Amino acid sequence: MTTLTFPLSRIEGHARVEIEVRNGEVLSTRFQAMEKRGFSLMVKGVPAEQMPVIVPRICGVCSTAHHVASVKALEDAFGVQPPPLAGTIRELLMLGQLIQNQATSLFVFTMPDRLGVESIFHVSAEEAGKDVQFNIARRALMVRKLGTDLITLAGGQFIHPVKAVVGGVSSGVDSGKAAAFQQRLKVALPTACELVDMYWDISLRMKDRIGTWGDDQPAYYITSTRPEQPSFDTDSIRVMDPAGDYCGEYTAAQFHDTITYEETDYSYAGRTSYKDGVMRANSLARANMTRRMGTKLADGYLKRLREKFGSPAHPILLFDLCRGIELVYAVERAVELLALPLDEEDTDVPYTPRDGEGWGLVEAPRGPLIHHYVIENGKIATGEFIIPTVHNMLAIERALRVAAERYITADNVNMELERAVGRVVRAFDPCIACATH
Amino acid sequence: MQQSKTSMNHKDLPQFAVLQLSGCAGCEVSLLNANEWIEKFDLVYMPLVVSAYEVPPVDVLLISGGVRSDEDLYNLRRAVRFSKKVIAVGTCAISGGVANLGNRDEVRELFMSQTERRDLPRLLPKSQPVDAFVDVDLYLPGCPPTPELFMAALFDDKEFKPSKTVCQECGRKKLKDMKPKHLTGFQRGEVDPDICLINQGYLCIGSSTRGGCRALCTRPGHPCVGCRGPSDMLIEKDSKAWLESIQRVFAALTDIPPEEIREALVSPQLALFLFQFSDYAGTGRPLRSKEKVL
Repeated sequence: MTTLTFPLSRIEGHARVEIEVRNGEVLSTRFQAMEKRGFSLMVKGVPAEQMPVIVPRICGVCSTAHHVASVKALEDAFGVQPPPLAGTIRELLMLGQLIQNQATSLFVFTMPDRLGVESIFHVSAEEAGKDVQFNIARRALMVRKLGTDLITLAGGQFIHPVKAVVGGVSSGVDSGKAAAFQQRLKVALPTACELVDMYWDISLRMKDRIGTWGDDQPAYYITSTRPEQPSFDTDSIRVMDPAGDYCGEYTAAQFHDTITYEETDYSYAGRTSYKDGVMRANSLARANMTRRMGTKLADGYLKRLREKFGSPAHPILLFDLCRGIELVYAVERAVELLALPLDEEDTDVPYTPRDGEGWGLVEAPRGPLIHHYVIENGKIATGEFIIPTVHNMLAIERALRVAAERYITADNVNMELERAVGRVVRAFDPCIACATH
Repeated sequence: MQQSKTSMNHKDLPQFAVLQLSGCAGCEVSLLNANEWIEKFDLVYMPLVVSAYEVPPVDVLLISGGVRSDEDLYNLRRAVRFSKKVIAVGTCAISGGVANLGNRDEVRELFMSQTERRDLPRLLPKSQPVDAFVDVDLYLPGCPPTPELFMAALFDDKEFKPSKTVCQECGRKKLKDMKPKHLTGFQRGEVDPDICLINQGYLCIGSSTRGGCRALCTRPGHPCVGCRGPSDMLIEKDSKAWLESIQRVFAALTDIPPEEIREALVSPQLALFLFQFSDYAGTGRPLRSKEKVL
């Protein structure tokens, strides 16, 4: 037996893939998350009200999602309903997160696979090809920074936001600043679209080279966005079966009744399944489970996707294309929200802390994120974090097996496998700091 | 289309690497919010964004995250050997950061019994800062440091002078006649947008915390939790001096009983969070000289 080990880069965190092979037969494909900090234990004894500022440190990439999920878990425990303005500002926070994340995944993590370079900071004009415009790095960083700056505008601190509080948000958004930022987004939108267009084109070319968009089987899909139009500040989880039929809608508190969570001895991350089936979360799940995006340009991209691949669509490299659609959506949607009055007084409601149990759900860029706290004497007795990436663990390993079987024969291992492993894993955009927490 | 290769002649540029140990990648995300370096440095190693599997010899090595696993330690020791300048970035790498929450014995007891795995990096008994193992040339504290601070560190900008304290950058008005009698609950109640958070009863330690962050948290109304560590005035002293400094500020600006402040500051239950970001001096390690901290 031979074990092939592939260290991974251009993903968040420390992970590797191990493939066991005997005489050309693929015995196993494993995704190993290789770090652990232990947040579910670390937060024991922490005063509950401090959680929204501690948990963003689970992950600097997904910090905003943790911040908002934490506040919602506490609101559930304390029985508080935040005012509508707070909901709008939290949605802006989540959109900032989405812009930052999708731009990073598209242009920093996966674009180098399509250009055949080590990183976007190493794209020379020759390598990029004559029809790919130069200075990708600068434009890509400019677009992703819009996300960070939107988080700052709506959330205070730029990586680990502070403004979502139990009962609402600590302050509104100044109208002058909102207008200026809205203008910035409008100016940047064409650049974002150009990058997304280029990404489609070079993805098409990559598909021609490798001969597939991914030939793995369909799977269950899971999301917490709404069926009509994506919303990232959500309250229930939906599941779609591999044939495209809806098979359930659940609250966060019903999670353990419907979805199986287990740990393995070869990874610091757990994994989930639905009725013993493989699930997929993240951008493709949302695209498959929404009627429309609800903004003009993003709907154009969604139409283009559906015309070419149908709906629901299953090839895994479409995750990446769907991130492009969502990037455009997030910019457009933020432009809409910033036109609303955001500096009014009514940003939060008073509350009285109490002991008990709370569940908080948001749709993070990688899928549904749940925080679950049990509070005793004002302190966290149990802190549970159900991370979107764990919903994709089985899907990643199954897709890796498909890739391994494609490139491994009894006689040789086609080294395209090395690139394929990177493409497969990055399509799911796993977050290891979150998955292991 | 004719294209030039003006800015990408990497061979002539100074090289830098980013080694991420056990952390949240927030420092890396912050660095990616700066773009001034793109044409001035060759980024040769940063697994988050570059496919490269070993730290080559570099001019500048940035290290983020704490030392949590045997693999962290191996990577750290190997990387610093061929680096001309070693910069520890972020609170985790410098003083343990949020990972200190896990260094409590009651957490370690559970942690060590529940994390058995095979064929994976082994976890060390505690999370430790970088300079527990290797020499550091420059400390860049913050959770995370702002892009501006990153650039000042990377470019070795001697002109860059961060404000002495967060308080100086905050700009909220300190009032002599607004003296709360007790601490306000954490994150609770209305926050006046213009008045000092201490006047409003919040446990804000911006008066003793190193500036340079542009008061990102306190301006929108969240108390400073000290992620940049002690100011120059205090950094070469022990943590007692720092605590006393904070208490003096509260004595001057509030009528809150000193015991209440002291309890809040030192009690692991009330201020568990606050001092995870701040405890430079309570660890028994040598104090950092202020010349080495940006």
